[in-house]
Amino acid sequence: MSLSLAVSSTGPRAQAGGFLGLLGVAGRRVFFALAVVAILLIFIGPVAILLLTSVRPPSGVYYIWRGWEFTLDNFAEVLAQPVVLHSMWNSFVLSSIATVASLGVTVGSGYMLSRFTGPIQRSWFGIIYVFRTVPYISWVLPLYLVTTNLGIYDTYLGLLLPHVAVHVCFFSWIMKGFFDSISPSMEHAALIDGCTRWGAFRRVALPSAMPGIAALAILSWLWTWNEFLFGLILTAQRTPVITVTMAQFVTETGTEWHLMSATAVLAMLPALLITIFGQKYVVRGLRM
Amino acid sequence: MAEVILKDVCKTYGSLHVVKDVSLHIQDREFLVLVGPSGCGKSTTLRMVAGLEGISTGTIQIGSTVVNDLPPKDRDIAMVFQNYALYQHMTVYDNLAFGLRNRKVSEDKIKQEVMRATEILGLGPLLGRKPQQLSGGQQQRVALGRCIVRHPQVFLFDEPLSNLDAKLRAQMRVELKRLRERVETTSIYVTHDQVEAMTLGDRVVVMKDGCIQQVGTPLDIYNRPKNRFVASFIGAPAMNFLPVDIVQKGDFFHAEAQDFSIRLPPQRAAIFARTNRRPVTLGVRPEQVCFGPCPAGHETAFSAPVEVTEQLGAEMVIGVRAGDTLMMASRIAPEAPIAVHDHVPLWLDPRGLHFFDRESEEAIN
Ligand SMILES: Nc1ncnc2c1ncn2[C@@H]1O[C@H](COP(=O)(O)OP(=O)(O)OP(=O)(O)O)[C@@H](O)[C@H]1O
Ligand SMILES: [Mg+2]
Repeated sequence: MSLSLAVSSTGPRAQAGGFLGLLGVAGRRVFFALAVVAILLIFIGPVAILLLTSVRPPSGVYYIWRGWEFTLDNFAEVLAQPVVLHSMWNSFVLSSIATVASLGVTVGSGYMLSRFTGPIQRSWFGIIYVFRTVPYISWVLPLYLVTTNLGIYDTYLGLLLPHVAVHVCFFSWIMKGFFDSISPSMEHAALIDGCTRWGAFRRVALPSAMPGIAALAILSWLWTWNEFLFGLILTAQRTPVITVTMAQFVTETGTEWHLMSATAVLAMLPALLITIFGQKYVVRGLRM
Repeated sequence: MAEVILKDVCKTYGSLHVVKDVSLHIQDREFLVLVGPSGCGKSTTLRMVAGLEGISTGTIQIGSTVVNDLPPKDRDIAMVFQNYALYQHMTVYDNLAFGLRNRKVSEDKIKQEVMRATEILGLGPLLGRKPQQLSGGQQQRVALGRCIVRHPQVFLFDEPLSNLDAKLRAQMRVELKRLRERVETTSIYVTHDQVEAMTLGDRVVVMKDGCIQQVGTPLDIYNRPKNRFVASFIGAPAMNFLPVDIVQKGDFFHAEAQDFSIRLPPQRAAIFARTNRRPVTLGVRPEQVCFGPCPAGHETAFSAPVEVTEQLGAEMVIGVRAGDTLMMASRIAPEAPIAVHDHVPLWLDPRGLHFFDRESEEAIN
């Protein structure tokens, strides 16, 4: 009896086999702890180095460790350049307007894709599918021609439109998923309770999708704030954006890492704030 | 309050014909149950009455209005869904008030109606909660409340109890029955559970593959099923079916199969005297297969070997070999001395003998 118990309790473990099987319980714990630490280092490492570099004098840039010499001069120097604040403001305005403008379309298109089938829905589905599959790098050059021809090159509008398009194409899918998870019978109940089709959407489906919409707003905002390629090709001096400004510390005479890092830290702040305050919604939304 | 009349109602999805020529006349205040196996089109029929599904051909009339082209909100109906379909972002109170607010009822009146429903359904302590904070049974009660606050002309139920566990389902069934007495409204109730159909319905409609098989009171359907499908669908444990030959021996008719023979009561045999003998199936419910010696006057005795026994405490159910089928017999005293392989004496209650044409499966009367 006791023998058979012992066999059955070690049996599967021995079969679990290989490397992990050899480690035993304690060994496996340690192994997983190390794995977690390694993964964290991969993600946190670059940010930590960025933070360190931003508070080091230029002479300390290429060393992992160079004593306790810290300074905030880099930030002062960066903020003294008007283009930095100007482009942060531009990025902020662009991200906010693009988010608000695209959200309406994204929610509507996600709802349509989730609830209706028909030729219009299928074509729309096809269009955003194609745009999603094509690498968006390949849109950029044509967009340059289009914006110059329309006379909106290097303006808010010239940047807004492509961003809104990307939001709609990329995030309609996520929105469709949110609506898929809301039972249509809730809207049917609303129809019977005296709502029109539109009323059922506005008063029942929309409020239920709110956590998802909040998550989406945050994702959209961050996407535009962090976007580089459109900014690089479609803007010049008039409407600089922060990601492009940051990259301009790479000059012919070398890269000013300390200034670039300071700018990057500044650019991280709004994104960080939004992420921290919005985390609740993002997590709730993605769990829907 | 109103009657509901369906006239030759059909529903097609492309080439798929899911509801075929359904005609029904539901009386004012009647409780009608639509029952049938999964996919037979009962929900589709109900949703056409609700206006959630278009009507391909035919007409549906509620009260004196043909509602074919009316949107759901103008049909004055209320519906309970299988998954409750409560508004997740609203409190129970707001869920109940939603329909009335849409109809611009004053808040005082709404409060009064909500309190009435709360009292009938015992929702008092739940009014401030959100649906996620309720159990399944409580959610279903709120869904019922949402219907009764509005005093609609017709209640529609789509399998309202099937998401509940067995015990709660039995409890809610009783509660529904009580609710019926307090709130008298024309109702159409869809279920695939024949117990719900039997216990709740004033009349029962049995459907299969989009067609109505039989309409009648629960007893009518139980006692006089029109065809083999209805006979097997209604009643639990299900009716026994045994292919038999009808043989005339002297003045009497016998139903015979391999190792099985009973003498038919003369009044039932009359059918076979006048029809030419097509192959038939004998149907008899397990509760009408009785254990023991046949009482005088009945000639339907036979004996058969026992293959399975099921002890249920209140009764025993046994399965015996008759012809090439396993015939179930229920309602046997739990202490009866029966063991597997015993040869036991049995008799069939002559009132419970059903005959079905083996080809068309229609009942022969
Ligand atoms: N939108 C649709 N398109 C095509 N076929 C459909 C559609 N809706 C329902 N059907 C088909 O119609 C038939 C009847 O469906 P219905 O929902 O009325 O069945 P039901 O009797 O309610 O079954 P259940 O007990 O499973 O709910 C099914 O075969 C189903 O596949
Ligand atoms: Mg159904």
